[in-house]
Amino acid sequence: MSLVSFVKVAQQNHDEFKQSIIDSLNLIGYSFPKNVRSIVIKPNMCYYWDYSTGQTTDPKFVAALIDVIRGEVQSKPNIIIVEADASAMKCSHAFRLLGYEKMAKKYDVKLVNLTEDKSDLVKVTVGDQSFHLMVPRTIQNADLKINVAKIKYAMEKIKITCALKNIFGCNPYPKKSRCHSRLDEIIVALNKAMRFDLCLIDGNIVSGIQPRRLGLVMASTDPVAIDVAATKIAGVNPKKIKYIQLAAKEGLGNTFFIAKGMSLGYFKERYPKKDVRTKLMARAYGLVVRMKLGKRLGIE
Amino acid sequence: MRKLRLGIIGLGYIGNVHLRHSLKLNNASLVAVSDMSKRALKNARNAGVKKTFDNYEQLLKDPEIDAVIIALPTHLHLQCARLAAEERKHIFLEKPMARTVQESQEIISAAERNCVKLMIGYQFRFNPTFRNLKERINAGTLGDVEIAYATNISSGPFFHRMQDYAPTPVPEWWFNKELTGGGPLIDLGSHMINLLRWYFGEITDIKSHLSYRFNLDFEDSATCLAKFESGTLGIISVGWFSEVSNVQVELFGTNQQTRIQHRAPNSLLTAVQMLTMGRSKFYESHFNELQYFVKCLMKDRPPSPSGQDGLRDLEAITRAYKNEIRLG
Repeated sequence: MSLVSFVKVAQQNHDEFKQSIIDSLNLIGYSFPKNVRSIVIKPNMCYYWDYSTGQTTDPKFVAALIDVIRGEVQSKPNIIIVEADASAMKCSHAFRLLGYEKMAKKYDVKLVNLTEDKSDLVKVTVGDQSFHLMVPRTIQNADLKINVAKIKYAMEKIKITCALKNIFGCNPYPKKSRCHSRLDEIIVALNKAMRFDLCLIDGNIVSGIQPRRLGLVMASTDPVAIDVAATKIAGVNPKKIKYIQLAAKEGLGNTFFIAKGMSLGYFKERYPKKDVRTKLMARAYGLVVRMKLGKRLGIE
Repeated sequence: MRKLRLGIIGLGYIGNVHLRHSLKLNNASLVAVSDMSKRALKNARNAGVKKTFDNYEQLLKDPEIDAVIIALPTHLHLQCARLAAEERKHIFLEKPMARTVQESQEIISAAERNCVKLMIGYQFRFNPTFRNLKERINAGTLGDVEIAYATNISSGPFFHRMQDYAPTPVPEWWFNKELTGGGPLIDLGSHMINLLRWYFGEITDIKSHLSYRFNLDFEDSATCLAKFESGTLGIISVGWFSEVSNVQVELFGTNQQTRIQHRAPNSLLTAVQMLTMGRSKFYESHFNELQYFVKCLMKDRPPSPSGQDGLRDLEAITRAYKNEIRLG
């Protein structure tokens, strides 16, 4: 079974973030390899919504992580923050608007748009399906890969997104919405093609039915275990999340985990969960959009 | 009586609002639209528009069109409006009128030279609540208005989080200061400055504080302090940083105080209004302004807000940018 740590951040400042990252890593007994030359950090960026919406990883959190790495890794590795263009988001703008450009300058780290990176075609199978995926060289060449995800409800039928879904953002192909018909399988395929060594969750502000300051930091080396834990916090049954079950089946991790640190229940109680009214409204809205009545009714 | 024949240039967000309304106007018919997007043109054809062009120059050469609604990105206003005037088409031009004072003056000159009417799209002047407030100010009900707060905060072009609502790409021009002329101060500030000028007369002095939360080349929020001819002090706050959209005017007079808001209604109410009236109450002022524009053209009257209005607003905005106050 894998270890997943839960740490509470009292205040959102650099020192608190740094300490909570150190504590969360200590709880799972993780220490950074000493001789890494390049480290890739994949935060979660979603459109141009900044950290206050709970939709994107706070650059302050990533800055604290960089400080932790530099404090522990003696080999002065190149640190690279990566993201790829999406259907409605351009990395060049997202890096700037979300504060990553400023932070990268201050901490002397590199920002890479994976859509513009050199990639190699890799064949991956998930169950009986094969996928030909582009894997960016920056990710292939990294000695250490860190996934810094968010916990949030998803618009698609996948219901919730966390560490596994964040790797979907490493897909250099920008028209990501076209992948949504086989999203569960593609998420798993991408995680098989790009295995990350460490997952951290910036759950300081989470996006549930509304954004809320939850003050949570989670860590695990197992993306499946951390996703199961995140799903439980958000009040969703992990057995109903197809990509999590599929990922476990494909050997990406365990659905059972040992919790370390604070209790999962503390954060579950405070997570802004969906209520019946919201679920009904979301279904009604989805129906209106599917029936192509949104524009006619003035709500799209 | 012959109906006025309209053309719409640009089918972005606001162009589509005008399209829906143009099809329901009295004494006017929508003859043609132009846009670079094939999908937008197809949607227009499906809505009943007979002629569609992927180039506005072709639309402007169409002799069947009497007047055009220009709903293009700001940097294209001058060249399109100038050409429209030369083709003797009356012009309804979306706000902000242009990027600079000089461009605005050129648009006015082109309209005057070619004897065409020019109206700027400031829809709040046609909102019944804001109009009612104007009547109360004129009637002296509020007394002397000492302080006026005008706020227009939204997500602007950067669409914010909504439940089950996928974001759409932001057109590139919105990120380029050269093309927009500025941030929310010119985009939303033009509305609020125009509204307060309508209430309290010309601006005698103006200063601004600009914020840069999103690290763009231009401000993403601004607060202006403006002194009006009437003696009223205006505090105008605009921004592109909030998930919630709100337009609000709050007046503090010697007799009375009042606050009015223009907020998006909930989806259910909007759906009911669309089904029963064919348009949402939220966009009523957009419909009213077009109806007024048509009426002015039919009766050969100069429309207001005029090009001069748009120019005065841009002069004030230019001064506000110049007189930036920096706080520590």
